[in-house]
Amino acid sequence: MNKEVSIRQIAYTYLFLSLSPILRQIPSALAGEAGKSGYLSPLWSVLVILPLTGIVIILLREFPGLSFYEIMEQLIGRFLAKLIILSYLIWILLSITAKINAYSLTMQFTLMPHTRSNFFMVILIILVFHALMRGMKTIFRFSEFTLGPILVLFGILFFCALTRLRMDYLLPVSTINLPTTMTASKNVIAVGGNIIIVLFFADKLGITISKQQMRKLWYAAVVFIVLSFVITIFTFGITGADLATNLPFPFYITVKSISFFNIFERFEVLITLICILSDFIAVCVSAIILYRCFMWLFQLTEIGYLFVPLAMIVYYLTYFISSTQFEFDFLYRYFIVNSNMIFQYIIPALIGIIGLLKRKKIAKQY
Amino acid sequence: MIYIFGVLLIYTLIREKDTLFRKKRNMLLFLFLSFLGGFLGVVHMLSPHVSSLVYIVEKYIK
Repeated sequence: MNKEVSIRQIAYTYLFLSLSPILRQIPSALAGEAGKSGYLSPLWSVLVILPLTGIVIILLREFPGLSFYEIMEQLIGRFLAKLIILSYLIWILLSITAKINAYSLTMQFTLMPHTRSNFFMVILIILVFHALMRGMKTIFRFSEFTLGPILVLFGILFFCALTRLRMDYLLPVSTINLPTTMTASKNVIAVGGNIIIVLFFADKLGITISKQQMRKLWYAAVVFIVLSFVITIFTFGITGADLATNLPFPFYITVKSISFFNIFERFEVLITLICILSDFIAVCVSAIILYRCFMWLFQLTEIGYLFVPLAMIVYYLTYFISSTQFEFDFLYRYFIVNSNMIFQYIIPALIGIIGLLKRKKIAKQY
Repeated sequence: MIYIFGVLLIYTLIREKDTLFRKKRNMLLFLFLSFLGGFLGVVHMLSPHVSSLVYIVEKYIK
């Protein structure tokens, strides 16, 4: 069976689409909820993200060549599986809307404050359509190709920013603050749960997945946690937690003060570009998952005709869901974070537990 | 923008007519999503400054 995508590509894509929340929402949310000690929250998220990665790997190993829907169909029956896929469909539709909103707000905050948001939305929808026409392989290969240089850029930025870190912005951390850092870690966990995209493409990975390939998912989860931790430390250490709480994109302000030996400056434009690319990939991958949900729910064989109606719904939903930065912050903190916990952790965990209990009774398909 | 979407919907209907008429399910889904999108578009056109869902929920919570 030919593999359309590989675990490596999915791992890279997972990191790529997690970049914009790591740069935007995570530092701001951690500063707001945990204050100066918020940079410890990504470390607490290890306790949840790594077990989720383990559950995903167990499901891939126990049900080789089956997609998330097919796994659920085997475990809980067709009706419940379709009900859960319907709820995932609605969740993904709303999260695409939120991502497009976040993207247009980022563009207005950083580069073009006088441009209307519908301009950015239309451009993004056209680019997403163009990418989807090329197929999912193109999107995953783009992530695979682009992530390396981005991580190198982050390495250079961190090296240049070391002298600007203020330890009084980071220390001391008292034990009184530790419980708040634990509760604030849900903001990191809500982004780290994106690893479940593997399950939606599990039928494209082939029947046999080696241990070496599975290890890539572990590496991706660890890199995500390290990246969240380092970016939060640098944001708090340079900008300060108090200012980071009130900014929609604190890392952008942090990078404004970084220069490469006073020769190269204005790295913030590159950071905005990284966020745009990350949002673009996130919308593309979410759109592909949305299409797959429609295929599973309604047993469709072709889905190209759904692009225009869905684009129309997503476009107008962005106006009705949230229209300002404050509304988006409220949406993110109270809806997106909590719904991500349900759809990225609770449901896959339940499916994983049912899978372990019913393992011997289910005939494996090869 | 709704006019552009309207033209694109008609274009999709003409271009994908074989796929849409092959199964009733395809046409029903296409029409349902188109009407939903059209409804949202018309509401936005008639009241562009209507309060967002988040604004209403935030007000209700507070």
